[in-house]
Parts: sequence; structure tokens; C-alpha cells
Amino acid sequence: MTSPQRRIPGGNSLTIAWALLTAVTVVSWLTARDTGSAHVLNAAVTVVVLVIAAVKAQLVIWYFMEVRHAPRWLKAATTGWVIALFTLLLGLYFAGA
Amino acid sequence: MSDAVATAPPPTEPAQPRRRSRKLDQWIAFGTVPFFFTLFGIVFVPLSWMMPPRSPSSSSSQIVEFMQSHNLLIACAILTLSFGLAPLSNAVYLTQIKRMSVSPVFRYSLMVGAMSGAIVGMLFPMFCFGLGSFRDGYDPAILAMLYDFGYLAYIGSLGCFCVMWMSFGLAIILDKNNVLPKWLGYYTVWQYVTELMAAPVWISTSGPFAWNGLMTFWFAMVIYVPWQIIVYVCIYRSIKNQPDRELENA
Amino acid sequence: MTGVVRSPAGHLGLGRRESPQRNHIPGESSMWFFVIGDLIIFGAYFVAYVYYRGQQPDLFLESQARLNLDIGAANTVVLLTSSLFVALGTSAARSGRTATGVRLFGIALALGAAFPVLKLFEYVPEIVAGVTPGTNLFFMYYFVMTGLHLCHVMLGLVILCFVLRNLRGPAAPKISFVETAATYWHMVDVLWLVLFALLYVMR
Repeated sequence: MTSPQRRIPGGNSLTIAWALLTAVTVVSWLTARDTGSAHVLNAAVTVVVLVIAAVKAQLVIWYFMEVRHAPRWLKAATTGWVIALFTLLLGLYFAGA
Repeated sequence: MSDAVATAPPPTEPAQPRRRSRKLDQWIAFGTVPFFFTLFGIVFVPLSWMMPPRSPSSSSSQIVEFMQSHNLLIACAILTLSFGLAPLSNAVYLTQIKRMSVSPVFRYSLMVGAMSGAIVGMLFPMFCFGLGSFRDGYDPAILAMLYDFGYLAYIGSLGCFCVMWMSFGLAIILDKNNVLPKWLGYYTVWQYVTELMAAPVWISTSGPFAWNGLMTFWFAMVIYVPWQIIVYVCIYRSIKNQPDRELENA
Repeated sequence: MTGVVRSPAGHLGLGRRESPQRNHIPGESSMWFFVIGDLIIFGAYFVAYVYYRGQQPDLFLESQARLNLDIGAANTVVLLTSSLFVALGTSAARSGRTATGVRLFGIALALGAAFPVLKLFEYVPEIVAGVTPGTNLFFMYYFVMTGLHLCHVMLGLVILCFVLRNLRGPAAPKISFVETAATYWHMVDVLWLVLFALLYVMR
């Protein structure tokens, strides 16, 4: 697996991004597993997992979808989507809770 | 590409008036579209208030009052007289899809989707609401069933329209002749998505997934209304820009 | 060999380049129109979900506890890894290493195909246990959103097959098509990332 990666342009940063993505996914999974049976609203957990999700989305968009090399308007549109969406999600969560 | 290119004889020097009328058939069909949709819009909304959809959990007396209302009667009368225009609106799509480089499967799928959609999605509700308004004396329980049947047929007939919009959208995206813009193809795929999202109306009688719900109806309207206008604007341009020599009846 | 200069719309695709140019949009711009629009549409669905969740938090929390978190997490990693291989494959194809690209996309496809299989192991026990879209509002959201997403995945798998066909074919690969397909697949991944957070892990 390491040799194709070295021959592929940008392969290293893609793999690092993937490793980070997988690591934080495991963090989310473990966090949820441990609070799973609580049946209680948990703002701390929610903030953590939603922020992680936002970071993950941004990583996929930036690295896998190559938006980091894209024109400014596309960078703005996708980053704007991530920020607007997760702000709304967190906002509504706290408004309802 | 159109068969007309291979088989039509080259046009002789046409006089101006004759060339202008070559697309008259398409223009007449297209012309019925704004008329038909406006009529439907008025009939469904301010006249009968059938749209936006009334609540699936309305009380019996509310249902009876609606089903036997005077305005619903007028609406159904108008519908009965004008629903024949629906095939023309659909034929407008077909004429465009026929010009595309994609397999004929797409236009046949669109055609059958349109046909079944018109029967189930327009005629059935017309019968149901028509029965309520044209015939007196039905039991409230029967009227309630007709009310459910009408709305479910109207909004729950999503399968037919799924086929229609997926065929149309895919055809546009895959078309090498660029008859219609690619982004319209993708927008049409969203039409298909909103139809899929309507599936829960069969289950939920209240809340965001009922036939008058946020997820199944209101979000879909935000996507659908601009799309319906935009698609016909694009088709208008397409008809206008089509070279005369490519016409099927050239 | 110098690469073919790409317009911002990224239509021509037969160049050999070592790294993406600046201000480059991968694939066809119409696919980006679709991606942004789809993100907004799903975004509206996500926001509505959190709103309704706020009105009935107990119902949602109890229902969430009945989901198979492990399969949800596994599917997340599956899609992320599949996306990695799609991104690597795209880069390989773009720099002319078509054979490597075929291998990488093949792995991506295999991983992607694991998603619906895992989903089966998730859905079937739920339905057999009597948990259906009609059970309550949470499960309606769960089945509808993950079902809609699953349709996106299935379509993506078909598209990936076409990419493989394109790369393996005798003709020179159409890089623009490969990039367009990759963009779609990554979008499907992004949507799942949010779904996983909202349905499975948020409390």
C-alpha cells in the first residue's frame, strides 16, 4: 500500500486526511457508545460530535474533493455550507433543548 | 439525432411565411402549457383550496363540508373539461427528448411515466373529488375514503413521476446533442428526489411526513415550482433554437 | 510532456500533470451545481430533523438507542476509505497511471459495495423486530434519510462501474468523467458523515 501512495501525486496528504477522518470517527463512535444507554440529552457530547462532523465534512471537501485547489467562489460556497449548516444544527439543538 | 436529418428531402427555397410556420405544431402545444398550468393553479388553490393539501387528519365534518362545497364543484367541472390538455404538456417534453442522442428507452420511459402519472395523479383525484362534489348523499365515511383516496392518488403517485423525471434528467445529462442544458438535467434529478421523499405520505397522517408535511410537501414545492417554470423556459429556448432542417416534419 | 491547459470548467481531460493546477474545478461544473444543490437540499432536511428532535427529545433519544451504532460507525469508515481510494485513483488516472487507477477504483468499488450489505444487516433485524418507518417520527426520519442516502450510494456504485469501464477501455480515459464521478462519490460520503452524527451519535 505504501508504494502506490508515494507514486501518486498528492497521495500522502490524502492518506493523512483519511487517517485523521477515521480517528475522529472512532472517537465519535466510542463517545456515543459510552453514553448510548443514558437516554439523556447531553449537550457536551452533541457539541463534540457535531463539531467533529463539521471538521470531517470540511476535510473531505477540502482534500478528497480538491476544493483546496478550487477557485475562491467554490471554496466560499462549500465552507459556507459547512459553517451555515452546523451553526443552524447546533443553534436549533440548543433552542429546543 | 433526429431521423429527419437522414430522410427528409432538402428544403427548397422556402418563402418567409412558410418557414415561420414550420414549428407551429410545437408552438401550439407549448402555448397550452402556461394556460393549462395557470388554470390548474387557480382551480386547485384559490378556487377550491384543495391545495396546499388539507390535513389528512381532518375531522369528518370538515371533510364533508369540503367535499360537497360549491367551489370544489366548479373546480371539478373545470378540470373535467380541461384535463385533456395534460398530454400536450407532456408531449412538449417528449419532442425534446426525441432530439437527444440517448437510447429510445428514455423517451418511452418518460412517456409511460407521464401516462400513468396523469391517470393516477390527475384523473383519480378528479374522480374522487368529483364524486364528492357532483353526487350528493354519500355517507360521511365514504366521503372520508374518497378524500384520502384523492389526496393519496395526487401526492402518493410518486412512482410514475419518479420514472418520468429520472428518465428525463438522465437523458439530458447523457445527451451529446446538448438539446437542453446539463444543469437542468441535474435539477430534474432533484425533482425525482422530491418525488421519492413523498413516499411516507402513505404512512403518516400528521407531522412533517404527512401529505401536507414539511418534508414531503413544502420542501418539495420549493424545489418543484421553480423547476416547472425553468424547464419550460429552457424548452421554449430549445424549440426556438432548433434549426428548421432538423424538424421531424421538415 | 506538457499537460493540456484546463479551463476553469475542467472539461478537457487528457493531460499528464503531476499536481492539480490552482483554481481548478475537478470534473464538469454541472456536477458541482448538483453537488452544491444536493448539499443544500439535504441540509434543509437535516435542519428540519434537529428542529423536530427538539420538540420530542425523549422519543428521539430512546429511539436512537435502538440503532445499531456499530454498523453505523463501520459504514462511516467504509465510505471514508472508499473515498480515499477514489481520490487516489483519480490522481493516479490524472497522472497517466491508468493501471494503478483501475486497481484503486476497484478497491473503492468493493468497499462501496460493502455499504449496502452492511445496511442490510442493519435494516433487516430492525424491521423483523417491528421497527419500521411507521413506528415513530425518529424512525420515519431514519429510514427516509438513510434510504434516500442509500439510493445515492447505489447510483454512485453504478457510476464507479462506468469509471472502471472507462479506465480499462481501449480508448484513452476521459479524466473529466473520472473527476466528475469522484466528486459525486465524495458528496455521498459527506452526506453520510452528517447523517451519522445526527442519527447515531448526537445526544
